[in-house]
Amino acid sequence: MKKVEYRLEALKKILFQAYHQKEKPELGDRLRMHIMDRVRKMGPLQVKPDPLTLFGQFVWRLTPVTSLLIMISLAVLLEFDFTPDYNVLISFVSDAEEISLAQLLPL
Amino acid sequence: MQNDTPRPGDVDIVQRIVDGDVNAFELLVKRHQALVLRIVTRHLPNQEVEETVQEVFIRAYGSLPAFRATGDFSHWLSAIAVRTCYDYWRKAYRAREIPLSALTDKHQQWLENVMSAQLEESSAPKGYRSEAGEVLDWALARLSAEDRMVLELIYFEGHSVKEAARLLGWSAANVKVRSFRARKKLKKMLKGISSRAGQGGAHEKG
Repeated sequence: MKKVEYRLEALKKILFQAYHQKEKPELGDRLRMHIMDRVRKMGPLQVKPDPLTLFGQFVWRLTPVTSLLIMISLAVLLEFDFTPDYNVLISFVSDAEEISLAQLLPL
Repeated sequence: MQNDTPRPGDVDIVQRIVDGDVNAFELLVKRHQALVLRIVTRHLPNQEVEETVQEVFIRAYGSLPAFRATGDFSHWLSAIAVRTCYDYWRKAYRAREIPLSALTDKHQQWLENVMSAQLEESSAPKGYRSEAGEVLDWALARLSAEDRMVLELIYFEGHSVKEAARLLGWSAANVKVRSFRARKKLKKMLKGISSRAGQGGAHEKG
């Protein structure tokens, strides 16, 4: 048994050395040229912005539409008659006890 | 006259490339070619080295925008090289391109010599070394791609579990378990061939 273990250790040692003594192929400039040819074909990198930047871009893209909606809403509100609401408010403030549904609604 | 221009750091070069200067990538290739070549040569057969080294640099180029300036470029590139080698083995095992033939008579003879004479590799002739390499390839081909990579990184190259986990992009626990199993498998395999060779050598002597 001890002999097998001893043999195994010897074999392991030789295989370990074989792993480290693998011959390295000479590639040099040729390899660099091939890599650079492929990289140039790929062209400059397309950098993807991070999610926060993308969100920012999205918000800014919606700005004209949002501004237009605000202006339309403002115009509609200015066109609207505020007087009835003002009257209701006055009736609440002046005589809160006698207020009824009939007073509130113009029936 | 000496050139006083400071050598640009890897991070500066990466920034130039990301900003659109494709040719600056050649500086990184020049600087790290030997490192990538060393890693790939250790893990793959010689005929696959050139193509794989190119693949490593092409992958690195495509991933440059993801490189964090706080990290070390050579560590980052080493991880890409190791993972490219791992991908090669995964594809090769899936496509069943790994020869799983039995050991030839030449290898058996070599093993018998090793077992009987305890020939030291350092004193062995060159042919002896190539046979050792072939027997090693035979043994590694019988492991899975995962076991093979873990075993090579930890057992043959002496990386720590943490370092191997970083290189492969796995958890340390996974590397630890795989390393234990892979070593056990290899030991069983070597025990089998060494005892067979030992018996063969004993019969011849007898």
